[in-house]
Parts: sequence; structure tokens; C-alpha cells
Amino acid sequence: MTLAETGGSKIVEALHELNVQTIVKIPKIGPVDLSITNAVVYMWFSAFVVFILFYIAARRSRKEPDKLQTFAEIALNFATGHLTGQIGEKGKKYYYLILTIFTYIFITNLIGLIPKPELFKPYTPTANINVTAAMAIVVFVVTQFQGVKRHGLRGYAKAFTTPSGVPKALAGPLNIIFVPVHVMGEMFKPLSLSVRLFANTIAGHLIILVMLGLLLQYANIIILPTALFVIIMTAFEIFIAFIQAYIFSLLSVVYIESAIYAGH
Amino acid sequence: MAFDAASAGSLAAGVAMGFATIGPGIGIGILTGHACEAVARQPEASGDIRTVFIIGLALAEALALYAFVIAIILLFVVR
Repeated sequence: MTLAETGGSKIVEALHELNVQTIVKIPKIGPVDLSITNAVVYMWFSAFVVFILFYIAARRSRKEPDKLQTFAEIALNFATGHLTGQIGEKGKKYYYLILTIFTYIFITNLIGLIPKPELFKPYTPTANINVTAAMAIVVFVVTQFQGVKRHGLRGYAKAFTTPSGVPKALAGPLNIIFVPVHVMGEMFKPLSLSVRLFANTIAGHLIILVMLGLLLQYANIIILPTALFVIIMTAFEIFIAFIQAYIFSLLSVVYIESAIYAGH
Repeated sequence: MAFDAASAGSLAAGVAMGFATIGPGIGIGILTGHACEAVARQPEASGDIRTVFIIGLALAEALALYAFVIAIILLFVVR
């Protein structure tokens, strides 16, 4: 990286949050590397926080809810009503998947925005394309599986061809256009889900970290507006974290719904 | 000035990012304008309008961010 060569070493140091660092090295089994890195530890930590949040809220539930229970109830109502409610009755099975996805992404991004010293080896798991791709692949597998299960393989494949109102002589040649476009659209859905979350997270973090690096490197009169900018960007990133969690779960619901009702 | 792969990659990253924000910028501007107008016509529906607006915002923003990912690849992988 040419920044390090030209002496911008503090800028490179400020970007330490984007490095995956191994903590416990486990030798590779074939192509699979199961070492415990800081990314893994932060993913476990986010999952633990999500679990503890809902577990304590459920254990301590009283008739007059306190703040934690209110938060858990708001999240649950949001996921069941607003998000999964779009599917209607058949959607009851997906409450927990959508709720988990929404809360996990939101809390992961929030934890990632807390400034932590280098000692804790900070890392935001959602800033890694592998993590977001894994979540998008889970949603993709759920949609394809549900589509095939409800309509049968033949019925689901029929959803990719020309819609049924077209006369048969025209429908055959039109398939040459319809089928590739539909298949590409299907393939694009998990790709766009994962890249959207990944790019939003890493863009926000990069802006904040580069500004911090510049602030540390060239410490002079420019500190005050730069610090103000970093504070405003962090506040904006909190908003973006909620929006991205909401969009990911909303689009997951829309894709699952379109697979369940896969007729044109 | 040696025009090798790394410099071409940096130049391409800048051009990609520059062109990529034109479309989503116009799109988000039109979207926000229509959302404002809709809220002005019927303030009771502002909750629903806000929902639809935020969905459209995130989808339009994602397009610019696809180009951001390509720019990052061009900067850091092309040597």
C-alpha cells in the first residue's frame, strides 16, 4: 500500500479495525480453515448478546413491561406484524428466522460502531463479505426449498417460463428471453442482499477510520472540523445500521413470499 | 509517467466511483421529491410513505455501493 511507503503510517494504523487477526490457530482441514479469529469471536459475542437480550426479557416479563421487555416486544411485533405479516398465514414459520436476521444484523453493526482499543482486536463481522454472503445464502436456500416444496419441481420451473396468458405459438420462442432473465434475476437476489449489507457497512467504517487516521497523522488546526465530521458520520452510521437490517429482513420476506406464491 | 496496471486501476476506480453516483443521486432526489409531495398532500399517511421511501432509498443506495465494491477491488487487488 503506497500510503505506508509515503509515511502515512498512522492512517494505516487507524485501519486496524478492518483486519482479520487469528487468535487461536487451528490447522487447515483441506480447504477449510477453522481458526478462531477476532471475526469469529465478535460473531459469537453478537449472537450471545442477542440471545441474552431476549432471554432476560422473556424471563423477567411482568404485566407492566420495563424497558427491556418493551424493546423485545417492539422487535417481536415488528418482525411478526410488519415484516412477516406480508406473507399472511403461511408466513408464521418464518417469524423466528426474520426476527433473528434483523436483530443479529442490527446488534452486530451497533457493536461494531463502538470505538474499541487495539487490545480488543475490534472487528465488525458484517464488514466481511463471507458473513453477509452466508446469511444471504441461508435466505436463498430457504426460498428455493420452499418454492420447490410447495409447487413441486415442475411447477416451480414453470414460474420461470412465459406467463400463462400468452398464445402457445408465441410462448415457445419467448421462453428464450424469459428463462435466462428470470434465472439471472434469481441469482442476483442473494448477491445483491449480501453486497448491499457488506458495502454499506464497510463504506461507513472506511470513511470514519480514514478520517480518524488523517486526524492522527496531520494533527494541526484541522482537528476540530474533522472530529465533528467523524461524530456526525458515526451518528449517521447508527441510522444506516438500522436501515440495512430492516432492508435485509424486508427483502428476505419479499423473496420468501414470492417463492411461496410462485404463480404469475 | 508509467501507465502500468496499478495506475490504470487507480484511475479506473476514481472514474467508476464518479460515474456511479450520478444515477442513484438523481434517483434518490426524485424519490425524496415525490415522498415530500405525497406527505404534503396527505399528512396522515406519512408513516406508510416513510416506509416506502426508506425501502426505495436503500435499494437506490445499493447501486452506488456496487460500484464502490468494484472501485475497492480495483484499488487494492490490481497490482
